[in-house]
Amino acid sequence: MEPLTLPASFDSLSPLRQYVVDAARDAGLSKEATYKLKLIIDEIATNIISYGYGESGLLGDITIDGEVIDNKLRITLQDTGAEFDLSKRELPDEDELSKPLEERDVGGLGIFLTMRDVDIFEYKRIGNRNYNIFEMYIK
Amino acid sequence: MAFSATLEETGGDARIFLKGELDAGSAPQFKDAIEQAAAKNPKRLVLFMNELDFMASAGLRILIFAKQKMGQGVDIYVIGSKGPVLNTLEMSGFHRSVYVQDTFTE
Repeated sequence: MEPLTLPASFDSLSPLRQYVVDAARDAGLSKEATYKLKLIIDEIATNIISYGYGESGLLGDITIDGEVIDNKLRITLQDTGAEFDLSKRELPDEDELSKPLEERDVGGLGIFLTMRDVDIFEYKRIGNRNYNIFEMYIK
Repeated sequence: MAFSATLEETGGDARIFLKGELDAGSAPQFKDAIEQAAAKNPKRLVLFMNELDFMASAGLRILIFAKQKMGQGVDIYVIGSKGPVLNTLEMSGFHRSVYVQDTFTE
């Protein structure tokens, strides 16, 4: 699909999810895998908007691109926010997930929810640009 | 689909009907509804999710906020959540802290 560039704001989350749905439909991804990928892109884009740009005081865009490579749908998010490698983020463990809500820490849930569902994840920083690459097998 | 959170108070219950897609952009609307509900000191918080099509972790954070704001004495019910939304609640262990039910019984 043609890449789509949107401003890094929460208003862009809905069109980013729609892009994933369209790319997944074209690729023939299952309904379940489509929802997972939609959630991943939403969570990671939220992270980029909140931390990569927001807390760093930077402004910019997010570009989404979808392509089928062999038997996989690859979705790439590009941004020029602060450097942030998701795979190095500390995630809530079983102990934290068993706690009652009144004792919960709100951090890391989004990444926890998504990283276990993606088949292949890769992060690259080239120049001032972050590339978050997600691949799902088309079954 | 646009998000909406509609609050109704009945007896000692605060009922919130959630529709559409709950993400970081729409979560503040849900939070507002929780704050309005909390101000009435309900005995129970009942969240109807039958028509909630998508929920990101921003929605989970509002559930944590609701529990911390209303306190342990207020039970939270999640009604009619299905498919991936229910899966998100279960994967994050939230089903252990709220009552998850298919339908609501008074």
